Amino acid sequence: MGAGHLERKLRRMFKIPVKGENSEFRSGLVSQYSDERKDTIQRVIAAMTVGKDVSSLFPDILKNIATHDLEQKKLVYLYLMNYAKTNPELCILATNTFVQDAEDPNPLVRALAIRTMGCIRVNEMVDYLAIPLKRTLEDDNPYVRKTAAICVVKMFALNTKLCVEQGFLDTLLSMLNDSNQMVVANAISALLEISKMGGSQLLNIDSRIMKKLLITLNECTEWGRISILTAMENFDTSDVTEVDHIIEKVTPQLQHENPAVVLSSIKVILKQMDKVSNDQRERLLRRLASPLCSLLSNPPEIQYVALRNIRIILEKYPHILSNDLQAFFVKYNDPLYLKLEKIDILVRLANAGNAALLLAELREYAMEVDIELVNRVVNVIGQLAIKITEISKKAVDVLYELYLNRSSYVLEQLVIVIQNILRRYPKKYLPTVITIIADLNFDDLSNTESLASYIWIIGQYSKEIPHLEDKLEIMALQFKELEPLVQAAALTAIVKINLTKSTPKTRQFLQKILNEATTEIENADIRDKAYIYWRILSTDDEELQKSIVLKRLPVLESTIDTFSPLLLKQLISEISNLGSVYYKPAVTFIKPKAENEALVNNATLQSKKLEELQQMAKSEIVNNAVKAETLLDFDDSEENQDSAAPVDTPMGSIGIGATTGAANILDELSDLFSGMTTQPQPGTTSSAIASTSTSTSPSPAAGSTSNLFELINQQKHKTITGSSTTHDDLLNLF
Amino acid sequence: MGNVFSSIFSKLWGGSKEIRILILGLDGAGKTTILYKMQLGEVVKTKPTIGFNVETLKYKNISINMWDLGGQTSIRPYWRCYYADTAAVIFVVDSTDKDRLDVAKKELHTMLKEDELSDSALLVFANKQDQPGAMTASEVSKALGLAELKDRSWSIVASSAVKGEGLTEGLDWLIDVIREEQEL
Repeated sequence: MGAGHLERKLRRMFKIPVKGENSEFRSGLVSQYSDERKDTIQRVIAAMTVGKDVSSLFPDILKNIATHDLEQKKLVYLYLMNYAKTNPELCILATNTFVQDAEDPNPLVRALAIRTMGCIRVNEMVDYLAIPLKRTLEDDNPYVRKTAAICVVKMFALNTKLCVEQGFLDTLLSMLNDSNQMVVANAISALLEISKMGGSQLLNIDSRIMKKLLITLNECTEWGRISILTAMENFDTSDVTEVDHIIEKVTPQLQHENPAVVLSSIKVILKQMDKVSNDQRERLLRRLASPLCSLLSNPPEIQYVALRNIRIILEKYPHILSNDLQAFFVKYNDPLYLKLEKIDILVRLANAGNAALLLAELREYAMEVDIELVNRVVNVIGQLAIKITEISKKAVDVLYELYLNRSSYVLEQLVIVIQNILRRYPKKYLPTVITIIADLNFDDLSNTESLASYIWIIGQYSKEIPHLEDKLEIMALQFKELEPLVQAAALTAIVKINLTKSTPKTRQFLQKILNEATTEIENADIRDKAYIYWRILSTDDEELQKSIVLKRLPVLESTIDTFSPLLLKQLISEISNLGSVYYKPAVTFIKPKAENEALVNNATLQSKKLEELQQMAKSEIVNNAVKAETLLDFDDSEENQDSAAPVDTPMGSIGIGATTGAANILDELSDLFSGMTTQPQPGTTSSAIASTSTSTSPSPAAGSTSNLFELINQQKHKTITGSSTTHDDLLNLF
Repeated sequence: MGNVFSSIFSKLWGGSKEIRILILGLDGAGKTTILYKMQLGEVVKTKPTIGFNVETLKYKNISINMWDLGGQTSIRPYWRCYYADTAAVIFVVDSTDKDRLDVAKKELHTMLKEDELSDSALLVFANKQDQPGAMTASEVSKALGLAELKDRSWSIVASSAVKGEGLTEGLDWLIDVIREEQEL
C-alpha cells in the first residue's frame, strides 16, 4: 500500500498542467475552495458575454448550480439558459436543483427557478417542469405567480399535449380573477400568445372578465396594458352602456407616454366606434386627434409606424385630423422616409379651407435637394389640384413655376402630373400646361411612365402641338425599341391623330406602326390592340371610328391611392401590429410555427405538382397550335364572325366574338370549379395530390391554352388552401 | 493568473478547503435520506432525485461537500461527470432488494474502474437494516464482490438511514482514511 501511495502522490505532484483558458476554467470550477469556484464562474460568464464558446464547461458549471449564494445561482442559471441547447441530455442533472429552488423560502429564488426552467427549451426538461410549475402557479407571492404564468406559454410551445393535459390552460383562465393586477396582465398575455400559437380562441371575454380587465388596466405596467388592450379589442359589446364604459375607461390611456399603449387604446376605441351614435362618434373622433398627433413627438422610427397607422385610420375616418394639418408638416431634419410618409398624409388631410396653406408648404418642399422627395412633392401637388378644385389654379401655377426654375429635377414627374390634370380639367389649364409639353422633345424623357403620358398628351391635344410631324417621326422610328406601356400609348396616339389631323406623313407613320405592331412586336396585348385598331380603321364609317377612338375618358376624380374595403377592414383590426406598417394582413407574411415542418413537405410536393402541370401545359400548347393559328388569322375569323353576327359593324362582331369566347372560358372554369368542390376536403397531403390529378383530367377538353393557365393558377391556389387545412388538422391533433 | 494566486493564498491561510464525497447507488437505495440525515439529523421526505443534491457539512473540523447523485438508469451515465477530485465514494445498497444486487455490483465495479476514482476510498452502506428480510453486511459484501477489490481502502457498514444507525460509524472510518491520504 505504501509504495502505491507514494507513487500516486508523485504522479499528482508532477502532473503536467493542461494548457488553455478552458482547462484553467475547468479546474477552477471544480476547485475545493468555494470562493475560487464562484470567481471562476464569473470569469466564464464574462467570456460567454463577449462571445467566446465556453459550452464545453457545461457539466462543470452545472455542478455549481446547487448553492445558497444567490449571486452564484443567477450566474449559473444565466449560463444554463445560454447553453442548454448544446447539451440537452445533461440538463436533466439540473432538474433536482430547479425543483428544490421552486420551493425555496425566498420568492425571488422561486421565480428565478421557474423562469429559468421555462427558458431551458429542452425536451428532456419538460416532463419535470409540470410539478414545480403547478406549485408556482399557486404560489402565495404574486411575483412568483406572474412569472409562472409566462412559463406556461413556454411549456405550451415545447409540449402542447402535456400542457393541456396538466390543466395549465384552465389555471391561466382562473388567474384572471387574481387579486394582483400584474398577475392578471401576465395571464392575459400568456393566453393571447397561446391562442395565437394554437390557432384557437382560448380567451372568451365576457362582460364579467371585461369589467375586471377595465379595473386592471389602470394599475398595471405599460406592457400589461398593451396585452389587456389587445385582449379587449375582440370583445363584442352587447349594449351601449357597456360601450360607454369601455370608452370611458380606455380614454385616459390615450395620454400614456408609451406609443404602443396609445395605439392599442385607439384601436380598442375604433372597434367600438360603429356601435355609438353619430354625434358621439364625431366627438370621439375629435378626442382621438390629439393623441394621434402626439405620436409624432417620438423618435423617427416610431413616427414612421405612427404615420403608417394614421394613414389607415384616415382612410376609414377621413375627417379625423382635418384641423391638425400643421402637425404633419415636414421638419428639415426628418429622415427621407418620414418626409415621404408625411407628405402622403398631408394631401389626404387637405380640404378647401387649408389647401392654400398646404400648397405654400409644398412649394417650399419642392425646393429641397433630394430628387425623390421633389418628385413626390410634384406628384402630390398634382393630387391636390385634382382633389380640390378651388386650389387647382394656384397649384398649376406652382407647377409651371417649378418647370421654369427646376426643370431638370421635376420634368419627368411633371409630365405625368400634367396628364392627370388634363384628365381632370380638360380645357381649363390647357394654355398654361401645353406650353410645357410643346417645348418638350421625345428624347427629353427617359422614364417609361412619363413617356407614355407625354405621348398621350400629344395624341389628345395634337392640334396644340407645334412641329407635330417631327415628333411623331421620332416616335415611329423608335417604336420597336419602346417599352410596351409606351408602345400602347403610341399606338393610340397615332390612330387618334389620323382621325383628327391627318396628313400624308401621319398616315405613313400609322402604316409603319401598325405593320410593326402586328408583325414584329412580341407583346400580345400590343399586337391585339394594333389588330383591333386596324380593323376599325378598315371600315368606311368614319363617324363610327371617331365615336370609338375619340370617346372621352371619364373625368378623373382622384389620384390618391386607396385600400380595397376588405383590406381596409383587415388593416383596421391590425392597427399597431406589423401588418399595419406593411399594409398587409399578418397572415400573408407570418406563418404559424407549428406548421413549419408540414410546410416544408408540402413545398416539395407542390413544386412536383407544378412541374407536372407545366409539362401538361406544354403538350396542350402543341396540340392547340393549329387551332391557335386559325384563331389568330384575322380574315378568316372576320368572315366567320360576320356570318355569325347579323350586326354588320366591326364593333358589334368583336363584341360578340369576345362575349362568346368569354362564355366558353366561363363554362370551362365553372366545370373546373364544380370538379373541385365535389372533391373531398383534403385532410392529408396525399389526398391533396389525388384531387390534383382528378381535377386536371377535364382540362384536355378545354379549347384554348389560356384556360390551362387558369387551371394552373387555380391549382396553385388549391394546393395552398389544401395545405393550410392540413395544418389545421395537424394543430387539432395537438 | 489571479486564480492561481487566490488558490495559493487560500491554501496558505487555511481558507475553507472542502473535501468532495460522492454518494452513489441504485435508485431507491436511500442516498438522499442518508445525506439529509447526516446534514440535518432528521429524516426528510424525499422524491426520486433527478439530478443531484449537494450539501456541505462540518464534521470533525473538516468541511465536506456531499454530492448525492440520482440513481435512475437514465442518470447513471452522468455519474462520471462528477468523479474528478473525489476523495471518497459512499455506495449505498438497499439490503432488501436482493434481485438488483447484481445490477448494483455491476455499477459499482464499472465505477471503480474509472481512472479518476483510482485514489478514492470506498464506503458501502448496507442500508435499510430496519426492514424485515434485510441481508447482513457480510452477505451484501459477498454479493457485491468487495473482496475482489485491490489497492483500495474500503469498508462496509450495516446502516439504517431512518433510524440513523451506522452512519456516524461509517463516516468516522471514511474521515480517518481521508485524513491519512491527504495528510490534513
